Amino acid sequence: MKLQTLLASVAAVAAVSIAGATVASAQSTLDIVKKRGHLRCQVGQPSPGYYNLDANGNWYGLDVANCQAVAAAIFGDKTKLEIQSVSSQMRFTALANGESDMLSRTATWTMSRDTQLGLDFLQPNFYDGQGFTVRKDSGITSALQMKGAKVCVLTGTTTELNLADFSRVNNLNISAVTFEDFNVRDETYLNGGCDSTTGDKSSMAGNLAAFPVPSDHIILPETISKEPLAPAVRHGDSQWRDIVTWVVFAMINAEELGVTSANVDDMRANSDNVNIRRMLGVEGALHEGLGLNKDWAYNVIKQVGNYGENYEAYMGSGKLGIGIPRAGSANALWTDGGLMYSPPMR
Amino acid sequence: MAIVKAEKTPARAAPISESSLIGWMRMHLFSSTFNSILTVISLYIIYITVFGVWKWGVTDAVWVAGNRRECFNISINGACWAGVITWLDNIFYGRYPREDLWRVNLGGLLLFIWMAPLWLPRVKAKVFIGLTTVFLYPFLAGYLFAGGEKGIFMQVMITAAIVCLLGNTTHSIIGLFTGRSLPEFLIRLLGKNAASEKSQRNILLGILVLSFAVVYIWQMGWSVEVVPWTKWGGLFLTLVISGVGIASALPGGIILALGRRSKLPVVRVLSTAFIELFRSVPLITVLFMATTMFPLFMPEGFVLNKLVQVIIAVCLFNACYMAETVRAGLQAIPKGQFEGAHTIGLGYVGTMSLVVMPQALKHMIPNIVGSFIGLLKDTTLVSIIGLFDILGMLRSISRDTPWLGLHKEPLIFGAALFFLICFGMSKYSRHLEVKLSTGNKH
Repeated sequence: MKLQTLLASVAAVAAVSIAGATVASAQSTLDIVKKRGHLRCQVGQPSPGYYNLDANGNWYGLDVANCQAVAAAIFGDKTKLEIQSVSSQMRFTALANGESDMLSRTATWTMSRDTQLGLDFLQPNFYDGQGFTVRKDSGITSALQMKGAKVCVLTGTTTELNLADFSRVNNLNISAVTFEDFNVRDETYLNGGCDSTTGDKSSMAGNLAAFPVPSDHIILPETISKEPLAPAVRHGDSQWRDIVTWVVFAMINAEELGVTSANVDDMRANSDNVNIRRMLGVEGALHEGLGLNKDWAYNVIKQVGNYGENYEAYMGSGKLGIGIPRAGSANALWTDGGLMYSPPMR
Repeated sequence: MAIVKAEKTPARAAPISESSLIGWMRMHLFSSTFNSILTVISLYIIYITVFGVWKWGVTDAVWVAGNRRECFNISINGACWAGVITWLDNIFYGRYPREDLWRVNLGGLLLFIWMAPLWLPRVKAKVFIGLTTVFLYPFLAGYLFAGGEKGIFMQVMITAAIVCLLGNTTHSIIGLFTGRSLPEFLIRLLGKNAASEKSQRNILLGILVLSFAVVYIWQMGWSVEVVPWTKWGGLFLTLVISGVGIASALPGGIILALGRRSKLPVVRVLSTAFIELFRSVPLITVLFMATTMFPLFMPEGFVLNKLVQVIIAVCLFNACYMAETVRAGLQAIPKGQFEGAHTIGLGYVGTMSLVVMPQALKHMIPNIVGSFIGLLKDTTLVSIIGLFDILGMLRSISRDTPWLGLHKEPLIFGAALFFLICFGMSKYSRHLEVKLSTGNKH
């Protein structure tokens, strides 16, 4: 993997410097997408909750819903979409060289990425953070008790660096056991090869739910990093940036206003709430600024659903959900004490 | 009185210590205390391994379940094959639309029908059949798999392929029963075997043109839906990439090898440079270069199909390896063979195609098949650059929410599948070697 990483970073730098300049100066992304007739939305290699294939070969997940929402906003049809699955070494290159129109994958919004890679991160659709899983019978109840522990971690990720920082700052002398694949990491942990595993709390909750006996393990309360996972677009196309941003906001706003895929028709026809009427394009001309049709938000909510519905379906307790509780987390609406907050749509 | 016995002494049975099972065991397994201990330990290791695997994979395994949790509820220590079974369509066909799977199956069936005559006895013109498989079948199969509008060129090639397939098949059936070729049979059928060679040829040409026209008109009447390459995947994609790689590697390799041995300096230097360049770089690097760097040199907004990039990279890479295999085969041909061919007045092409290559290729069979097997397995690298080949699909099962964490069973299934395919190929190469070995068998 070393060689690939090296190559990919060389390629990424080259791509950003050559293509970033040329593609950005060309016609607008919206025009390119409309002319092509479908959206090219980049996700990663399957990751539980965010983007997976089902047994029939269809994509589903929280980030896939974002892609579908943007397609629905532009074309009024969420299926006018090509999901591109790109490895994490190639993700920013593929966006920079114009292969992908947008990124909707578990990419953490960091300052260096935002400022140096020629891309813009938008409104996060999931706030994650790194945590630890331990066996219940180990008696550990806080990460600070893990002095000298062996911790299983994925290599080449920020989680590995965060773990090292955490160990150094708290003088814990943790030794990291690294893996390429989360399945092998968990297998080793289950067979007693490590005292704990570490990773993003969301995915750990999902993985833990799939352990043979989930109740034997707990996730410790500490969150040792901030991982705002946000969609991203190429730097320099403000219109396109606005579209993707406001599609995400529309989904959050819809939840706040109580508009769901089930009641959106009724709301559009009968609602007196001026905020809902504006969002759904019954009143005002919000769509003009985006260059989309006036029922763009209606299509998003009708075909993909609001943020809460999608969270429930893929992250929460839905049939395909990985069972991460939302109440009290950063991913709850701001009215419930979370961070999901949309600027007013007016 | 004769001292010499008149009749042969009847052979006695071998001593019991040599022939019976107990004797064999004493000799091979328990010949000394040390060996006996080793035998017992080995038997124990084999027993626990086989028994453990059998218990996990068969007796305790779950075959039908809706998700992994149900598997655990039924049997917590057994394999959960239910996930693999649910995902079989993905593993074999990738994301190919489920209502169009017949197209992939038909493509496979056509390839089988096309190539079956190569195995049949009494069928003539096998070289011709082999060549059409390489040059015409890909157009027919390519259209079946990809679909869409047929351009004029594709229409002509598809027609040619269908005519050729029909011809091949009737030819082989006739050959199997009568030992004759299709043209001979047609001439006899029409009662023209007394006619001059020229009029016979005209008749055959007429039949060919007529059938071409009929098929052309027929194929204008149907078309199949577009299936974008992004939906290709699974074993199907692996076989497409390695199939194209295999089909192009041998001709490409022969050309490069001959180029490297050429007396023309420019040709020689270019071939050598090309071969050495690709051989000294790992395949994954070539794949990364092809998919990342290549688009940067293309005009703005032009995105070349990633599958095509990958296939081109695989073809070039394997042609270079094949070139060295072919060159090794050529080195094994004694100089006398070249000189002999020259003395009977053969030129370069004649020498190579009639004398040297047929001998050299025979020497190369184990190596050629070896690199084909290598190629088939290398193809799984494309899962790293985001194509869902069989390995990509097998790994995705453990990410699908209902089957979260199910990663051992799919990989074991994949290993078994690869073993079957590769073992089949190597068995076939043994068969070819035996069949083609004429004088120089050791």
